[in-house]
Amino acid sequence: MREILSIHVGQCGNQIADRYWRLVLREHGLTEAGVPKDPAATANNANMEVFFTRVRDGKYTPRAVLVDLEPGVIARIEGGDMSQLFDESSIVRKIPGAANNWARGYNVEGERVIDQIMNVIDAAVEKTKSLQGFLITHSIGGGSGSGLGSLILEKLRAAYPKKKIFTFSVAPSPVISDSAVEPYNAILTLQRIRDNADAAVILDNEALFRIAKSRLNRSPNYMDLNHIIALIMSSVTASLRFPGKLNTDLGEFVTNLVPFPGNHFLTASFAPMRSGGQEGQVRSNFPDLARETFDQNNFTAAIDWNNGVYLSACALFRGDVRAKEVEENMAAIRKSLNFASYVPTGIKIGCAETAPDGFSSSGLALVNHTGIAAVFERLVSQFDIMFDNHAYTHWYEAAGVSRDMMATARNTVAELAQSYRDAS
Amino acid sequence: MDPTLEKQIASASRSVEEARRLAYHDPVRIGALVEQISVLADLRQKEGDFRKAESLYREALFRVLDLRKSDPELLSGIYSLLAYLYDRWGKMDEAARFYEKALELSERNGLAETDKVATIKNNLAMIFKSLRNHEKAEQYYHEALECFLRVDGENSPRVASVYNNLGVLYYSHMEVERAQEMHERALGIRQQLKQDDMDPADLSQTFINLGAVYKASGDFRKAEECVERAKKIRASMNGFRPKPRRAAALLVDANG
Repeated sequence: MREILSIHVGQCGNQIADRYWRLVLREHGLTEAGVPKDPAATANNANMEVFFTRVRDGKYTPRAVLVDLEPGVIARIEGGDMSQLFDESSIVRKIPGAANNWARGYNVEGERVIDQIMNVIDAAVEKTKSLQGFLITHSIGGGSGSGLGSLILEKLRAAYPKKKIFTFSVAPSPVISDSAVEPYNAILTLQRIRDNADAAVILDNEALFRIAKSRLNRSPNYMDLNHIIALIMSSVTASLRFPGKLNTDLGEFVTNLVPFPGNHFLTASFAPMRSGGQEGQVRSNFPDLARETFDQNNFTAAIDWNNGVYLSACALFRGDVRAKEVEENMAAIRKSLNFASYVPTGIKIGCAETAPDGFSSSGLALVNHTGIAAVFERLVSQFDIMFDNHAYTHWYEAAGVSRDMMATARNTVAELAQSYRDAS
Repeated sequence: MDPTLEKQIASASRSVEEARRLAYHDPVRIGALVEQISVLADLRQKEGDFRKAESLYREALFRVLDLRKSDPELLSGIYSLLAYLYDRWGKMDEAARFYEKALELSERNGLAETDKVATIKNNLAMIFKSLRNHEKAEQYYHEALECFLRVDGENSPRVASVYNNLGVLYYSHMEVERAQEMHERALGIRQQLKQDDMDPADLSQTFINLGAVYKASGDFRKAEECVERAKKIRASMNGFRPKPRRAAALLVDANG
């Protein structure tokens, strides 16, 4: 069995975990306590143990480690209807929080808790037969998810040099933000993601906010954004969770989507995008579904579509779709996409029988587009404005992160943006 | 890997998980968790996985630091276990750092006159010897010696070991006369030990060390005599495995 261990870090990472595991449980026919509703059907899925461990009484527990420096979100998960789901020995929470400061999550508080986290991860890894890798969910703007998340990334890479590490990284946006230092945290984290992860799906709050706003008739809140993220994550992982042909392991994702080392920052799109509670009404025809899947406004990062090219793309359609329809429609879409001249213009296409809960069919695109440079450039310029005026940097220096370290991270991300621009 | 060790690790690992679950809801159980963690860490060290052992000891360390009521004895115990690990790992600077932390903490809390502290000092001296800091090594050996003399009295195997270590230190610094004096003292004690305390490997080592000293001072007849006696003891040991070179200053016995 090629198991995958999910690691959820910080407030945002755990809120995503809450939404994500809920969706996954339903797709696998499990109750909120992890008990199969129809044991025979669950046992039929040979890939069940990729994301779950079977414990006593036929119950399933997610292969997940929950980490936070504040008790709030995890306490809510534990107090809610999923209280029986997660293994308490794999929950790590420490107070006090990282106070939105990357340096506190990485150094001060991180140092006190990282060994416990690694021990919990080691124990979870030892329960697997042949681990393929890790999924990390976190935000890169806050303190815990960014700082502690970075520390976990580095330690994971050092301890498991050959395992694949995927991150689902939520990037901050001034549109929906609660702290001024988010660009600092984001830049410092992006450097670690570039150096230690095999692939990162960038979930840009700016784009998510725009998507959510266009679907709802009100200003979206974090729950709305997290719901979108959970839908995307469950679709990205669907090919790993159910038997299939495309992207059946993390290594295949990397081979298909990362043409140059370091340029492993992906963006995703889910269709049909609806807000929570509206799923039942959805029934779209395939051409619409395919078009929406590759609609530029539907992607989770604020990509600079006009000044960039596709380096690679994968699509996964789930549920009630016919192979012939897929072929016909995707041929047209493929032609409309602007691929780099030196890469084959193929879109890897996969189909899966099970649609997400509440949908009759769905589409997912996972792409590597050079226009993602715009996201990095936006963060670098926000970083520069504050950094050049020495704003807030004393908080970082006080927690052991020098201005030199920050400048190095900034240059790494600027180079990353440039390397994407050069690849266009 | 040794299948017995593998089983021991699996079961220790389960115990740690169970202890984590209990401690998760009830911070009073952290003492028990720390105990389980050090059992697992010790097994990891035997397995040769120093990275995991380090990570476990460090978790124990921060768990103890987080306790509302401080426990200097437990804390100093964990410091020395970590130091011992770094010592075996070959990270001598780290080992010295943590042993000194353990010492400082013990002395600050009136635990200076114990064999644990003496063991730490002896181990520290060995580390400084390997770091080629002769003065510090000598100083810590002497402190360890005084401490063991007070705790155990004159005729103890541990006193003999420190004499032996001092002898080796002096010899390596070409202070042959002092080395001879130390090894003779060690021999005096080791020859008188009761059967239970006697370790033939130690005794034969003393003869070998003495032989080297005599040879260095030009007394070849005595040197040969010593080597012959060492050979005889070795031959009679058949298959006996000598104890590990350094003792872990053992330490964690917290309960609740």
